[in-house]
Amino acid sequence: MMILGIETSCDETSVAILNYGSRQIKLAAHLISSQAKLHAPWGGVVPELAARRHTEVIIPLLDQALKKAGLTSSDIDLIAVTAGPGLITALQVGVETARALALVWKKPLIGVNHIAGHLVSPFLNINNWKLINNKSTWPAVALVISGGHTEIHLLNKAGDWHLLGRTLDDAVGEAFDKTAKLLKLPYPGGPQVAKLAKIGNPQAFVFPRPMLNKPKYDFSFAGLKTAVLYTLQKFSPSKITTKLKADICASFQAAATEVLVLKTLKAAQDYKVKTIIVAGGVAANKELKQRFISNTKSLQTINHLLFPNTKYTGDNAAMIALAGGIEAKKQGLKNFKNGWSKIQAQANWELW
Amino acid sequence: MIKKIITSSPAETYQFGKNLANKLKGGETMGLIGNLGSGKTTLVKGLAKGLGIKQTITSPTFVLMKVYKTKHKTIKQLVHVDCYRVPGIELETIGLSDYLNQPDTVVAIEWAEKIPKKFKMTIKLQFKTKNKSNERFIKLIKLL
Repeated sequence: MMILGIETSCDETSVAILNYGSRQIKLAAHLISSQAKLHAPWGGVVPELAARRHTEVIIPLLDQALKKAGLTSSDIDLIAVTAGPGLITALQVGVETARALALVWKKPLIGVNHIAGHLVSPFLNINNWKLINNKSTWPAVALVISGGHTEIHLLNKAGDWHLLGRTLDDAVGEAFDKTAKLLKLPYPGGPQVAKLAKIGNPQAFVFPRPMLNKPKYDFSFAGLKTAVLYTLQKFSPSKITTKLKADICASFQAAATEVLVLKTLKAAQDYKVKTIIVAGGVAANKELKQRFISNTKSLQTINHLLFPNTKYTGDNAAMIALAGGIEAKKQGLKNFKNGWSKIQAQANWELW
Repeated sequence: MIKKIITSSPAETYQFGKNLANKLKGGETMGLIGNLGSGKTTLVKGLAKGLGIKQTITSPTFVLMKVYKTKHKTIKQLVHVDCYRVPGIELETIGLSDYLNQPDTVVAIEWAEKIPKKFKMTIKLQFKTKNKSNERFIKLIKLL
């Protein structure tokens, strides 16, 4: 099955063509046009600017992808597009493009949940794909962390998920970005905080580990960001050196990653799962990955710890094509025959 | 009308928001002004509870605007807006104007000092903190 994936939920325009087989998957083309520079002066994504840029680049990107794959529209069996959650103006560009293509090309169309895409993103790695129908893999818990999301899901198998907990206020990526802004670091702030943290002392400041002792799997990062603010207020502007900033970054990162790791491990043990999945933009954080590796080493019940390749941690159409393929296999392709007349962009589409 | 109150914990700020919900009729545009961590979102969480919203109110910073369905006689929805990142004018393009001054809608805007004057606030809430204590000084100003 040849799947055309389209993703425009935020600030990346992405098109992928995925050759989907139960034994093997192969990306025939995968293109991402990032808008990060466009939004940098605003310290975050501006919806109208994002939508305009998506509109400009999506058709050229589509042409390029087909050319790169050496295919034409007639080779496509299914179109999969992110329908939500995300910025409504941005989502609409992808959804309306996909609907038009599906109508004109007479192809089935599936609206994919963006989080569902992140949940399957580690399986884009060919070695991990072999695990997708393997008994040693399921059940799994998955942590999805990005600028807009912080959620833990229980997965009985691929495409069968249940929300266990989520942030009650700020997403963890947002806490990273707000910390960066407080420290006057350039946008996007998350990677900048991680970079400075490398030369800082993670024990310099004791920041709160919010919700760590609560029995549920919910998160809260608003208080952590406020703690950073209060710490900074204790110093006069002339005392805020790079060394101090690095110590704050390292201490902040230590607090945030500890909560993420321990909450996920708790869910993994409570639900006796065999696999832990970590996905989303913040999954690219090396310190977090290290902590997950060292904390799961001693756990004999965990067979697999799966991270996406770094190129699939951010928003991308490859994961959308894959999630669409898994769902189409489950429900049957004919269910999506008149997809163009059914789907619409949903900014607040909840997964459960 | 100006009302000043001091809350001594997030729970009290939440309760203040919850009580405030009982006094709303619909059509209000509330501007919340105050630094990071001064209690704006906590107040909106209480407000949402008071309006009978069951969902968790999470930060709208990333998506800029979130719409919640309420369980209330006259108010049908609460719109939670955040101008922290983006000047208010940009919010027009994602449909903020559709919700303002609607009799069945309450709009709560955080970082409202960044919003253009043409969006008329009916209630202004100013938040002040004092160092590390949990105390919050909240000033409520009814404008219309």
